[in-house]
Amino acid sequence: MPFVAATRSVGRAGLFTLSVLRASKPTADFLRELVREIYKIGARSLPIIAVGGAFVGLSVTLLGYRALDTYGAANQVSAMLGLGLYRELGPVLTALLFIGRAGSSIAAELGLMRATDQITALGLMAIDPVGKAVAPRFWAAVLCVPLLTAFFCSLAISASYFEAVHVIGVESGVFWQVLKDSVDFGKDFAMAFAKAAVFGAVAALVAAYVGFHAEPTIEGTSVATTKAVVNASLLVLMFNFVMSALLFR
Amino acid sequence: MSSRAPRIEFAVGAFLLLALASLLVLAIASTNGNFGFGGDRYEVTARFTNLGPLRDNAPVKVGGVTIGQVSDITLDPVKLDSVVTLAIDNRYSDLPADTSAAILTSGLLGESYVGLAPGGDPDPLKDGDEIFLTQPSVDLMQLVGKYMFSGGADNAAGDDAAADPAAPAEGGSDEDLPPYLQ
Repeated sequence: MPFVAATRSVGRAGLFTLSVLRASKPTADFLRELVREIYKIGARSLPIIAVGGAFVGLSVTLLGYRALDTYGAANQVSAMLGLGLYRELGPVLTALLFIGRAGSSIAAELGLMRATDQITALGLMAIDPVGKAVAPRFWAAVLCVPLLTAFFCSLAISASYFEAVHVIGVESGVFWQVLKDSVDFGKDFAMAFAKAAVFGAVAALVAAYVGFHAEPTIEGTSVATTKAVVNASLLVLMFNFVMSALLFR
Repeated sequence: MSSRAPRIEFAVGAFLLLALASLLVLAIASTNGNFGFGGDRYEVTARFTNLGPLRDNAPVKVGGVTIGQVSDITLDPVKLDSVVTLAIDNRYSDLPADTSAAILTSGLLGESYVGLAPGGDPDPLKDGDEIFLTQPSVDLMQLVGKYMFSGGADNAAGDDAAADPAAPAEGGSDEDLPPYLQ
């Protein structure tokens, strides 16, 4: 009965999502945990996002220059960068880096909590383990992935500016004006951050679900970490296609 | 925990402030600044027989300056004209009622846009009005094709000398070329 099993696992994930949403109440304890999680999975992810963004900006600029120079339109390179960055690359790559950096740690932490019976212990103390351990991580991810996307995009644009203006020789004013003309505030810029928030939610939910339901063994924790990264990355890429198809027709 | 809490709170605060600041800078420096969501615009329609490559959100320009966007494109089911709705910034609410619209292309390969040419009518265009004087998109390839295969053939034989008096002086080999290549 693989079909029934698959449907049941989708149902369990949906119920888990519901229980996370229901367990999110802005109590003082929740806010304290939230700040700690923002620090751990948001602020500590900053270096990898910043460096990653800079290198993506550099390589997209080179690629755009190579492709656009064929048509004598090399000074339009920032249009390609801006649209590519806000529509696809910024949210998706930030989410993938975030999954590698923070999703894996969410799954490993929760898996280890499961393996060392801490989740059971919380339940015995009449503390909702989902509200205590999962909800702060979920909301921290929903908040942090859009903010990290902003860092990713600003570093990518700065690096691209350097590459285009100082290496390739695009006029500096042309670079900014073409960028401004091509990126629409509502359709491209705002959508990038809506996408990023959805990706953050997906990444955190998958990682938390897999970690929370891990086998209570050392091996179970490592399997959960692997599963979290693989499943969350795939889901983010699929959600990206669906959202792009719906938003950017 | 309690001794580390202020430091964590500072780090989180700095992270959030930095992130919001970079969001703000990105929003201003890298987008078209179209923050309004259609509140301060008025819409007029224009009918065209051929839109060419015109799409939604194409710019609407007067004298090269963008004053609005194409907000909607539909086909009139009865007259089979394409009806283009132009959303124009309220700052430019004094366009004369006999303004004409044309679908133009910036450069040879550039985007197409709607160019408006103001007329002399003292009454302004109002929300929901229609622009009656329109000029459809010009298909460059069709134009070239027409010129090559009809316009060229018509006057290739007899009118050579009359059309281009300098050409025959160069020699007989030019005679079998169409006039536009001489």
